[in-house]
Amino acid sequence: MCPADGGDSGGDRAPGKQPGDDAAFAALLEDSAEDLYEHAPCGYLSTLLDGTIAKINTTLLDWLGHARGDVVGRRTFSDLLTAGGRLYHETHFAPLLRMQGEVSGIALELKAADGSRLPVLVTSTVKTGGDGQPLLIRTTVFDARDRRAYETELLRARREAEREREELKRLNATLQQTLLPPALVSVPGLNVAAHYHIASADKVGGDFYDLFPLTDGTWGLFLGDVCGKGATAAAITSLARYTLRAAAVYDPDPAAVLSNLNTVLNHEYNGTDPRFCTVVFGLLTPDADRDGFRITLASGGHPPALLIRADGSADFLPTPGGQLIGVLPDAHIATTTVRLDPGDTLLLHTDGLTEAHTAQLGDGDRYGDEALLDFVRALGPTTAAHTVAAVRDLLDTFGTGVDDDTAVLAISVPRPPSEEQQ
Amino acid sequence: MTELTVRTRTTPAGPVIELAGELDHASAPDVRALLPGLALGAGQQLVIDLSGITVCDSSGITVLLAARNHALAARAGIALAAVPARVSRIIHIVGLDRVFPTYATARAAEAAWAPPSAHP
Amino acid sequence: MTVRGRNHVTVTGRDGGPVVMLAHGFGCDQNMWRLVVPLLEQDFTVVLFDHVGAGRSDLSAWSRERYSSLEGYTEDVLEICHELALGPVTFVGHSVSAMMGVLAAARKPEAFAGLVLLAPSPCFVDDPATGYRGGFSAEDIDELLESLDANYLGWSGAMAPVIMGNPERPELGEELTNSFCRTDPDIARVFARVTFLSDNREDLAEVTVPTLVAQCSSDAIAPPEVGAFVQARIPGSRLVTLNATGHCPQLAAPEETAAAIADFARAGH
Repeated sequence: MCPADGGDSGGDRAPGKQPGDDAAFAALLEDSAEDLYEHAPCGYLSTLLDGTIAKINTTLLDWLGHARGDVVGRRTFSDLLTAGGRLYHETHFAPLLRMQGEVSGIALELKAADGSRLPVLVTSTVKTGGDGQPLLIRTTVFDARDRRAYETELLRARREAEREREELKRLNATLQQTLLPPALVSVPGLNVAAHYHIASADKVGGDFYDLFPLTDGTWGLFLGDVCGKGATAAAITSLARYTLRAAAVYDPDPAAVLSNLNTVLNHEYNGTDPRFCTVVFGLLTPDADRDGFRITLASGGHPPALLIRADGSADFLPTPGGQLIGVLPDAHIATTTVRLDPGDTLLLHTDGLTEAHTAQLGDGDRYGDEALLDFVRALGPTTAAHTVAAVRDLLDTFGTGVDDDTAVLAISVPRPPSEEQQ
Repeated sequence: MTELTVRTRTTPAGPVIELAGELDHASAPDVRALLPGLALGAGQQLVIDLSGITVCDSSGITVLLAARNHALAARAGIALAAVPARVSRIIHIVGLDRVFPTYATARAAEAAWAPPSAHP
Repeated sequence: MTVRGRNHVTVTGRDGGPVVMLAHGFGCDQNMWRLVVPLLEQDFTVVLFDHVGAGRSDLSAWSRERYSSLEGYTEDVLEICHELALGPVTFVGHSVSAMMGVLAAARKPEAFAGLVLLAPSPCFVDDPATGYRGGFSAEDIDELLESLDANYLGWSGAMAPVIMGNPERPELGEELTNSFCRTDPDIARVFARVTFLSDNREDLAEVTVPTLVAQCSSDAIAPPEVGAFVQARIPGSRLVTLNATGHCPQLAAPEETAAAIADFARAGH
């Protein structure tokens, strides 16, 4: 688009020849500011503060098919727009221009004299006088036909993608639901609470837990974490969950349950893309004489449970040496047995909690085991419901700092009513 | 966000993979992908130098396990070197400290390696 | 979430002075009033707020059900009045918010000392059956929605640098970015429909509180005939035509706008 094309056709402009270059340069200098304005490859207009058009260039008049006399002093910029564009201009463009003195790259449509529409990109600045008072508005208008077609396509694709993402989120949420018990069963003489925190709606996480009856009045419970996220992790989660329940029926000894799970997963996944999970499995046996429970916990490489005693003291319940489940042919499982007396609470968690980024500590710093222990110590003595509610609030304070799914499961033995009133 | 830097070098004892940065869900596949290309002979030792690791999540653990599987398939050994405290804690929790011999430095790991001929 | 937080309510001005509540219209947030507020603060208690979905309101409070009609917004206005418990307020509603004021005052007149309807329109769409001319057709409103969409892609990219990089006016910072750049496109579409497709002509006669209709001398989206229509339908209301042009007199002519509001609000007490 070079408007300065006439009058120099006879010029000899052999390469490297000085006089010819001078002639070309001289021709450029003759390209007056006036001509640059009138025939610039974009539309120019200046309007008074009330929008009345004071000056408009030939390029824009040609695009619109208007005569100068029909426009200058007679119409406002807003009049040149489609009705919808006018609404947009008055509710968005004009207020913003007033407030900040400049607005750029806004997509609008102009209405030409013949009724056709011209998609444009508009940029305006407010020219102010020496005293800072606004005097007039200068506007450039770029032809955006090609770009608009492209953007329309982009927008369509984006909408499509958003719809699909919504669908995916819905599917993920549904799938996640199927990996967790719809409601925790009630165990006589025991309070139970759990919470699952979904870190990302786009990917199914791999945490799981369950609590279910076994024979002879005993109960099984587990909580675990499959490495990774997404469909593969969900498949392993599902396999782990059902295998654990079946294995517990077959042989409820916690170490045997996890060994059997290890065998199943180890057969299924190995090689260059090993998949594993870490799990705590517990066998709960009521202790009728003392209104409490005995629990034997087996850990396969899982972060240790926390035990909060009736007297308010709290500590980790280590199961050292337990190895992660699913990759080592003969993974070592560590067990420990404790009594849960009235007022005692046991908390199981996945490391989404302790690996959460905390704002207070700055980027890169994780919440950590020590902080969790302090947090739990401040709660004691407590109950399952209260502990889970507190952890839930804690996760809320981390916000987006929780980048992995987190599951917590707590059980507590209620105090006798007489004590509770104290 | 720091990414993962991967460098490999070869020693008489076998290859050394030096990892620095974040070993997580995003970077783990890259490390796994380079395993098949390693020149690792039977009786050699694969050393993973973790001195520059700032983050290691469960995906990072799968990388270590994949490397171990690769070494075992080649009838070679595996060792970890310069494990940062945070990674060491994770390795301890998942019980892999019993599985990976660990040395203070890659050089110490090489020094500890005994050539196959030393084992009659 | 409290009502104050939900609507990002700001109370400023003279403690114990007559209360003026300023409600912004479609497309912006309470920053629309930034030039008028300093002129009212001396004499009045000034209440500002963002409609849910706009500015720094709590986006999580937005729901399609509640905010698909002016009723939801009207509820919010009444809830803010109730929560602040400052007594009867002079409610100044710009553009679509003028009709929120009409609905709120019809429902609960005791909460209002008066209404200022700034550049109001009870119905933007023409109604050939009654000869009413709102100035737009239903297709025009669809075009507006297209304009919203067309700027949805470019909005954050094009606007944010302009807004953020304005060293002379640092006060135009975060708030504007929130208002103009982070308006959720879905919320904006729903609000656009509520604004331009509502018909509140029948509600005007229900207003019993003192009312001032303030229109601009030329306004591309709420023309003078519409202002006259509003005044004719509200019993006992008064009409002033401001010298200001355009649809946003509070930005174009803040002194004149503030004076009209102040004169009316003072007379009402």
